[in-house]
Amino acid sequence: METIMVAKNLTKTYQMGEVKVEALKEASFELYKGELVVVLGPSGSGKSTLLNIIGGMDQATSGELYYLNKPLHTANSKELTLYRRHDVGFVFQFYNLMPNLTAYENINLAAQIAKDPLPIKELLEKVGLANRADHFPSQLSGGEQQRIALARALAKNPQIMLCDEPTGALDFTTSIQVLKLLKDFSTSYGKTVVVITHNTAIAQIADRIFYLKDGRLVKIEHNPNPLPPEKVTW
Amino acid sequence: MLRKKMLRDLKENKGTYLACIVVMILGIMVFTAFSLVVDNLKISQKSFYTEQNFADGFAQVEALPFSAIGNLQNIKGIKQIEGRIVKDVQVYAPQSQENIYLRLVSMDPSKENRLNDFLLEKGTPLSNKTMNIWVDNKFFEAQNLKLNDKLEIIVNGKIRELKVVGFGKSPEFIYALRTTADLYPSPETFGIAFVPIEIMEKIFVTGVYNDLVFSLEPGVDFEDIEDTLEYKLKPYGLRSLIPRKDQVSHSLLEMEITSLETMARVMPVMFLGIAAMILYITLKRLIEQQRGQIGILKAFGYTRGEILSHYLSYPLVIALSGSFIGGILGIILAGPFTSMYRLFFNMPEAPDNFSILYLILGIVLSLTFALGAGYQGCKNILKLEPAQALRPPSPPSGRRILLERIPFFWNMLTVQGMMAVRNISRNKGRSFFIFVGIMFCFAITAFTWSMNDLIQKMLFDQYEKVEVYDLKISLSQSVDAKAVSRELSSFPGVNRAEPMAEIPVTLKNKWLEKDVVILGLPPNSHLYNILDAEGNSVELPDKGILLSERLASLLNASLGTKLNVDTPLIEDWDSTKQVEVRGIIPQYVGINAYMNINALQEFLKAGPLATSFMLTTEKERVIPLKEKYRESALVASIEAKEESFKKLQELMASYGSFIYIYALIGVIIGFAIIYSSSVITVSERSRELASMMVLGMTPAEVLSVVTFEQWFLGLGAMIAGIPMSKLMLTGIAQAIESDIFSMPVVISPTSYLLALIITAISIWLAQQAAAGKIKKLSLVEVLKERE
Repeated sequence: METIMVAKNLTKTYQMGEVKVEALKEASFELYKGELVVVLGPSGSGKSTLLNIIGGMDQATSGELYYLNKPLHTANSKELTLYRRHDVGFVFQFYNLMPNLTAYENINLAAQIAKDPLPIKELLEKVGLANRADHFPSQLSGGEQQRIALARALAKNPQIMLCDEPTGALDFTTSIQVLKLLKDFSTSYGKTVVVITHNTAIAQIADRIFYLKDGRLVKIEHNPNPLPPEKVTW
Repeated sequence: MLRKKMLRDLKENKGTYLACIVVMILGIMVFTAFSLVVDNLKISQKSFYTEQNFADGFAQVEALPFSAIGNLQNIKGIKQIEGRIVKDVQVYAPQSQENIYLRLVSMDPSKENRLNDFLLEKGTPLSNKTMNIWVDNKFFEAQNLKLNDKLEIIVNGKIRELKVVGFGKSPEFIYALRTTADLYPSPETFGIAFVPIEIMEKIFVTGVYNDLVFSLEPGVDFEDIEDTLEYKLKPYGLRSLIPRKDQVSHSLLEMEITSLETMARVMPVMFLGIAAMILYITLKRLIEQQRGQIGILKAFGYTRGEILSHYLSYPLVIALSGSFIGGILGIILAGPFTSMYRLFFNMPEAPDNFSILYLILGIVLSLTFALGAGYQGCKNILKLEPAQALRPPSPPSGRRILLERIPFFWNMLTVQGMMAVRNISRNKGRSFFIFVGIMFCFAITAFTWSMNDLIQKMLFDQYEKVEVYDLKISLSQSVDAKAVSRELSSFPGVNRAEPMAEIPVTLKNKWLEKDVVILGLPPNSHLYNILDAEGNSVELPDKGILLSERLASLLNASLGTKLNVDTPLIEDWDSTKQVEVRGIIPQYVGINAYMNINALQEFLKAGPLATSFMLTTEKERVIPLKEKYRESALVASIEAKEESFKKLQELMASYGSFIYIYALIGVIIGFAIIYSSSVITVSERSRELASMMVLGMTPAEVLSVVTFEQWFLGLGAMIAGIPMSKLMLTGIAQAIESDIFSMPVVISPTSYLLALIITAISIWLAQQAAAGKIKKLSLVEVLKERE
């Protein structure tokens, strides 16, 4: 499989007031094209830190990170912006949609800065919300908002899609819908999807599972037979 | 504990609060400084008037025998009346480029308690026995005189020598103008001299008064005695009879005081209003942000009163510090400001009024504004129950706006643009504030630049387009126009000479009347152009009269109105004689009526008279011409236009600095408003802005959402600023309109352009300051928080 990202000994230390906190300790891994990776770990284990560094929102204190052989650990803020702009899609637990843009416009906000955006109408159909294109976020349910957020992340047609607890605020049925979309994106579009969660059940759909504990990447597990999302329960 | 929280909160938002304090300081500073200057001037004026026994009325006559005064003293209501001989003469100063004039005013050294008494600053009393005089201090300084210096004057072609034995000030000449056409005192070329009455009689060989001053009994108005006095003075050739309020020096001083008073009232209200708005939106935001903290405080058992007073302590600290600093600065500035006014208004220095009252008033004023704004900003949160306060506020809801119905406009926008435009209606209060702020910023700059423009243009037009002669010779009595024209034209170097008749008259339309000077000008004059509002020259009609706009409105006259004319100049005048109004023209300096000189001569039946001549000459012939005629008894003055023009330019240069101050004020207002609202917007929408950065937008693209909203509002505000600036100019024009000066309400496109540039620059600067806050947004931090 084609490697799109290589991380070597990524370490992140935060200065929290007077104390130093090591949020991530010497994490090394690779990410491959078209795979779905689930990162598991309890709160405070460094999941979000890892995701932020992969997504170019933050930089490691030490270690190296390459995206398609380009170093990200030495990139300046302008280069990181361009990286986020063209190569990364983000989905958050709390959606972060623009409250005063409609569903369609929220997607368009991302599409208009992308080099090769996916058609917005198609995306809306894909997430099953074509009929709600003109609604504002406050008129949508949580699950609908998250699906729009997903469509917004997809719209840029990124190489990597990063999701921070994407189902954390959703009920079971809606969660499964969202997971189906993520799985579909990795298989039919051949993009890399990284999902952070502390819900171990979700790991069953992954190609690989990263286990994080106290900032250390303790185990990387291959899953030769991932379950289709609709078969997952919790 | 809460005090520490407050101080730390203030520190966190120091930029915004600082902007607020600066605006407040400006407001209170202007208030204190101008109020004190007004007080200082008023106190000086009042004590000067009282101590020097300033007259309530003034009259000019042809000739009033000394003995007739007693008769006038008996008029009921008149407390004291004094006759004087007042004559303008030229000072013999062959080395001087310019003509120097002296107004000689007679006084009786033997009399006690004189009206308009001279305040002697240094020197010895006048004596009726020797040729001694007192002069005004400004003239004394400007001419580098020393006590007991000799001053030579030209009277009836002869040189007379006067000894200066003292200098001081007169309440009658606080603002000493030679003629009402002058705009400012010029002690280099004009001074006042007080001469013992017996010396005056000797110099001018006269036994009659030509000038009267009088005071009134308490409770008596000028109007009460006007008719009686007019009737009694008529036989002596009454030329003018005016109350104190029309006296030139007095009315100009009053005008200045009034306009200062207006400034002292209007400007602070404007500044404090803006400061209050900044406080309001900042506190409102702070309280929204600290909703959780307030919930906790309430849960602990803090009372509403305690929480309210905690949040009101922010505006309290700001208002106290702003008004205290502003008040102190105002008190410090009041001194130099007063001295500056004393340069123009020659009054004795009353001890400067250091009043703690204005400091207190300023503090009260700013506290009222600040606490009012603070309370408005706080009151909503107090209603919440603790549990409610602990919960996050309901999320903002997006809505469609009216503008979306205009597809052409809406489709032009990027998605950021759409967000920005929708944001306008998201927080209506703040948008309104930005709108009003930018509108003021634009209007203030547009109108002040325009005013500067206009004043310059009006004055310079007067010299460059209206009065196009090089020299004006005014005569002390009327002469035969043709003969003198011929003589002047033949003088070497004179290219052209045109006569002019300046006839003082009273124009009446029914019960309305006005004393003015009719200018009789030759038809197709080359040296004096009458212009219409567009600057095109207007032909003088063969018959009838042209009125200036202000005169026409004072007399309620329009085209075709027949005016009665009364003139003291001609004996046995038939006051039923009428003249028809044939045109109305703008006139910004002075107030006159115009007639064809031939028509005027015929109307007056006074033969081919002229009272002055306009000349164009070769430059190098000016001095010989002055030398030849300066000693002539007929010549009252020779005025070279270039000199007056030069002096005017100097005066205007110093006036110009005021304009920069106004422009600066505009910039500060615009900056403070945009800066504080940008900072608040960034803090309020940090989550949205961070999300956009995660999407891969550059900080500049993210900032554009905030700035687009401001530019969009700003554009509307600037358009609204156009009528606003007109309104301001109209207000000012009405306030300063007088017989000496009137101002057209026209704002030039250049002023609008300048206002646009200045406003845009201040908006841009403030946005750059806010941009820093966006760059510092920590994506990780912001997005981690729960909404």
